[in-house]
Amino acid sequence: MKNIFSNSYLKTMIRLIKIDFRKYFYSRSFWILTSLYLLLIVLVFAGSQGFMNKITENAGKNSPISIPSFSLYSFPYVWHNLAFLAGFFKIFPALIVVIFVTNEFSYKTIRQNVMSGMSRNEFLLSKVLFVFIFSLISTVVLFFSALILGWTHTNPITASLVYDKMVFVPAYFLELFTFSMLAMMIAFLVKKQGLSIGMLALYYYVIEPLVAYKLPDEISQYLPVKAMGHLIDIPNSSLMKLFGVNFRDYVSAQDVLLCLFYSFVFIGVVYFFLKHSDI
Amino acid sequence: MDTEILEIQGLSKSYGHLKALDSLSLKVERGNIFGFLGPNGSGKTTTLGILLDIILKDSGTYKWFGEAPSSQIRKKIGALLEQPLFYPYLSAVQNLKIIADIRGVPYSEIENVLKLVELEGRKKGKFKTYSLGMKQRLAIAAAMLGNPEVLILDEPTNGLDPRGIADIRDLIIRIASTGITIILASHLLDEVEKVCSHVVVLDHGGKLFSGSVDEVLSGTASFELAADDMELLEKTLSFEPWVTKMAKEGQILKVHLTNDRSASQLNKFLSQKGVYLTHLTVRNKTLEKYFLELLSENHDPTN
Repeated sequence: MKNIFSNSYLKTMIRLIKIDFRKYFYSRSFWILTSLYLLLIVLVFAGSQGFMNKITENAGKNSPISIPSFSLYSFPYVWHNLAFLAGFFKIFPALIVVIFVTNEFSYKTIRQNVMSGMSRNEFLLSKVLFVFIFSLISTVVLFFSALILGWTHTNPITASLVYDKMVFVPAYFLELFTFSMLAMMIAFLVKKQGLSIGMLALYYYVIEPLVAYKLPDEISQYLPVKAMGHLIDIPNSSLMKLFGVNFRDYVSAQDVLLCLFYSFVFIGVVYFFLKHSDI
Repeated sequence: MDTEILEIQGLSKSYGHLKALDSLSLKVERGNIFGFLGPNGSGKTTTLGILLDIILKDSGTYKWFGEAPSSQIRKKIGALLEQPLFYPYLSAVQNLKIIADIRGVPYSEIENVLKLVELEGRKKGKFKTYSLGMKQRLAIAAAMLGNPEVLILDEPTNGLDPRGIADIRDLIIRIASTGITIILASHLLDEVEKVCSHVVVLDHGGKLFSGSVDEVLSGTASFELAADDMELLEKTLSFEPWVTKMAKEGQILKVHLTNDRSASQLNKFLSQKGVYLTHLTVRNKTLEKYFLELLSENHDPTN
């Protein structure tokens, strides 16, 4: 019985990653979008403290109570804060996934790939692997940004402070991966670039929020977008504590399971679709 | 079986109410240059699409090299289906590298296939800058990567000018001479006649005819005759059993003879009978004629 990490599975995966990567390496739009995205999140990471300082400064001028300034970057809160901020930009990776999957349909290169000897499942796997790696790279950027910012803004630094709440980093990976899987599924089903982007936006901003509004909370918490957003809840700050507002500062197992479940479902839908249609 | 490259049994496919393929069965042997003929919508492209796992069949089976179909087997089959499909922002070499990786073929082969189709000079340019003829040639180059045993070409001369068509024809003949089995779907009957060894004629998803091209072409030849004394000519010929058909068209008498009569034999016979020809033309059966006859028979409500 072959182990999932056995040589031949690994070789296949590396081969598929290599093939897929060729499609992006020489694409100008890929590099522009990717660099823009990574640059943007790093800038946001670096600039958010300054932004927050401005706000508390201004608020402080007008309020009777003194508003404490707080550091976004101190361990252990930096993990949560940056992961939360990065979550706003998951639209970039999703966009990249949509563009490159729908391209395979517009250029009909999915047909060419399959005719040349790739199975439909291998094609799907190559896209899932691409998303996995892309999400991994984003997460690594998050990790090092938080590490560096945390290191320079925490005094004193203890090991336990650093490791505490690091769980938000893999949580971010899961959020990105799941959302990209949703985008990938829509791209495979709709096949056209503009329409896919529209459907993704429609679902994210309109359909699910509407459904969530109509359903009671106990049920709506199981919806995919909600689960993804809920993975990393709004981080607490001393400001909010002042007002008695307390958001979750941990990652709930339910949300993790839901995201894993939905990723599975999205991939499964594409698998089923590929098995039963002409391409 | 080593000689049977492809076997199709009872293949059917419908698109909604439209029955594109109706229980098609046929065999292709190694080394054949097999022509798929048929009007638009007859099921040629659907059949080829099913064989390449692009289109899903409703029922029936097919086997490549005697084995059940799989993506591994497709690595030994090269195909150009309807249009050349490539990434427009990549160059010929970059596009071919992707295909080479899929097929498990070393990159050194890329030079060879580009040479074969004479595209070496433009290999670094982006695909979107290529002319249609170049795109078709690149598609054939891609199909030839990895030394396939079968080459499937669906309308490879689509949209090409006469020079392009001749180039592709030469290329096909060159490739065929290396022993590769070729399946060629085409409208251009005279091209098929020049190049193919066997043909299958499809119409409305069904098989009208399957056999060798020689079978089709050797058949009765027809002759156009004229003589000073037309009446004597007609009379002389009408008594002979080896004259199967006779029709007068203006000043010309068209006759069909059985297989074994040649023009010189006919000439000799007539002169012995005192009929001297002023006009003798041999009209060989063409695939086109046969094809059109076949199709009109198929559509004839009295049939």
